[in-house]
Amino acid sequence: MLRVKSPQDFWAGVLFICFGALALYLGQSYAFGTVTRMGPGFLPTVLAWIVVGLGAIIVVRGMAVDGTAIARGQLRPQFFILLAIVLFGLLIERVGLAPTIFIVTLVASMASTEIRWKEAVALGVGAAIFSVLLFIKLLGQAMPAWAWSF
Amino acid sequence: MDMFANLATGFGAAITPANLLFCLIGCLLGTLIGVLPGIGPIATIAMLLPITFGLDPLSSLIMLAGIYYGAQYGGSTTAILVNLPGETSSVITCIDGYQMARRGRAGAALTIAALGSFFAGCVGTLVIAAFAPVLAGFAEKFRSPEYFSLMLFGLVAAVVLAHGSVIKAVAMVILGLLFGLVGTDTQAGVTRFTFGVSELYDGIDFVPLAMGLFGFAEMMGNLEKRAEDRSQTQKIESLWPTREEAKLAVPAALRGTIIGSFLGILPGGGAVLASFASYTLEKKISKSRAMFGKGAVEGVAGPESANNAGAQTSFIPLLTLGIPSTPVMAVMVGAMMIQGIAPGTALLTERPTLFWGMIASMWVGNLMLVIINLPLIGLWVALLKVPYRLLFPCILILCCVGAYAVSSSTFLVIMMAGIALLGYTFNKLGCECAPFLLGFVLGPLMEENLRRSMVLSFGSPSIFVERPISLVLLLMSAALIAIIVLPSFRRTREDAFQE
Repeated sequence: MLRVKSPQDFWAGVLFICFGALALYLGQSYAFGTVTRMGPGFLPTVLAWIVVGLGAIIVVRGMAVDGTAIARGQLRPQFFILLAIVLFGLLIERVGLAPTIFIVTLVASMASTEIRWKEAVALGVGAAIFSVLLFIKLLGQAMPAWAWSF
Repeated sequence: MDMFANLATGFGAAITPANLLFCLIGCLLGTLIGVLPGIGPIATIAMLLPITFGLDPLSSLIMLAGIYYGAQYGGSTTAILVNLPGETSSVITCIDGYQMARRGRAGAALTIAALGSFFAGCVGTLVIAAFAPVLAGFAEKFRSPEYFSLMLFGLVAAVVLAHGSVIKAVAMVILGLLFGLVGTDTQAGVTRFTFGVSELYDGIDFVPLAMGLFGFAEMMGNLEKRAEDRSQTQKIESLWPTREEAKLAVPAALRGTIIGSFLGILPGGGAVLASFASYTLEKKISKSRAMFGKGAVEGVAGPESANNAGAQTSFIPLLTLGIPSTPVMAVMVGAMMIQGIAPGTALLTERPTLFWGMIASMWVGNLMLVIINLPLIGLWVALLKVPYRLLFPCILILCCVGAYAVSSSTFLVIMMAGIALLGYTFNKLGCECAPFLLGFVLGPLMEENLRRSMVLSFGSPSIFVERPISLVLLLMSAALIAIIVLPSFRRTREDAFQE
């Protein structure tokens, strides 16, 4: 029976193969050209095949050689961190910097199991004021402090 | 002397009250972020990049220099205080620095690291001033094949110096190259891998990529650890080394500086090699070899000086050839590009004030570091006590505003979330992101030079071995590969990366 002996290697290899395959799929329409006159598809295709090849070797090694297990992940930090970033992107042009920072700070704080609500709210207010002063007043970034456009 | 006249021009341009202030702010912020456990120099510089956007090129470079040295020093501080190396080159500092801290000599270790780094930085600056013009002349002989071989060497070195599995590091470099090819192919005018998104026509933006892969991936990793695993800090008694410690540290710092200045010039992780080499040398010639690993002063002074001298002289390949040789340098190139500065030979001939101003600013950055950091060591230690639950939202905001400010694009912010997830996955799978980043920056450059070389040689790859400089670079790459395969080096490498 085949058994995965090193989950880290095995899945890393799978990831590499997926990326390589994706690049090959997307890149098939780009002209390959010749060695003398390389087309836009030349290097991507060659590199993608190398990535697939290396990925395959890593997969095989992951099944043959004992190695590290993947450390257990937690959903909470990832979910709230990613949500906070996406929220920033969605809100910044709609409500402006100050409200965005406040909301994003609160959401981000939820990523930690050690969250204390009063503290998080205070941090949000402080961060909002500080960001407006630093980024808009001091550094003159082109973004509104307040806005309302949906 | 020409060199001093040039340096004088540089200092004239660099030293204005406003620029000194920017350097000071940069240095403070660089240390502030760099000292946070789990955030290495690459992440620090990437996060702070946006702050320099609004400034004129010279001021922004000076601020960057401050950030760069601050970040480097911040990395050494965490290495010594909490045994967390910010990047590969401070891995060595951990060994004896942390042991010194455990014996209550953290203050002395930090002072030795700062003063050693400052001395090394001064020497490094002089070396750059003396050799950069010479090498720039040499660089004029470089054509596409030489550039290609040089970049190949840099990538090979990045693989050799990466943690963990070599084959995964190679795959990461190649994947980085592939990511670098996203965007419009300048020669054929075809857009590649853009999914029709106009923000990707110029390629994946460097700032959100670096912040996602390093800043956020590390943040998510840190949040998974329990509070007590993150950091424990020691009390700091006295800042000053004792007479005996100083006696051991000074010659070690001198030797480290010499080693670092030479090895740093080599493209490809010179600073890391330098700190390894210095540690090995100090251990070899020390009278009390048993002290190494238990808090030997030379084990901090030597590698820290070597590391900084190397960090300084590794600007030489960047400034003369325009090629980033290490991941940190890749970030610096990203920063310069944003300011419309293309590092390379042309910089020296066409914008001498900027060139020499930048070199002067490196020295100023080093000086700032000593002036502000010695009195502030207590503050940095206090900062390590600020709960992480308050720190990480601030870091997150800094990154988001930064990613958005690059081109007022919300797409980049959302893309950063995706890259953060990717970076987190890479970390979980034991794939290091630093080689990926270097590959990413070098991808388009390598493609261009490969194509040109092939046109020059009518499709014959022998052009790379027929041209002497290119051949030497390829032989050096081959030698590096041979070294990884050698069992004795493998063992040392594995030992060194054991944490």
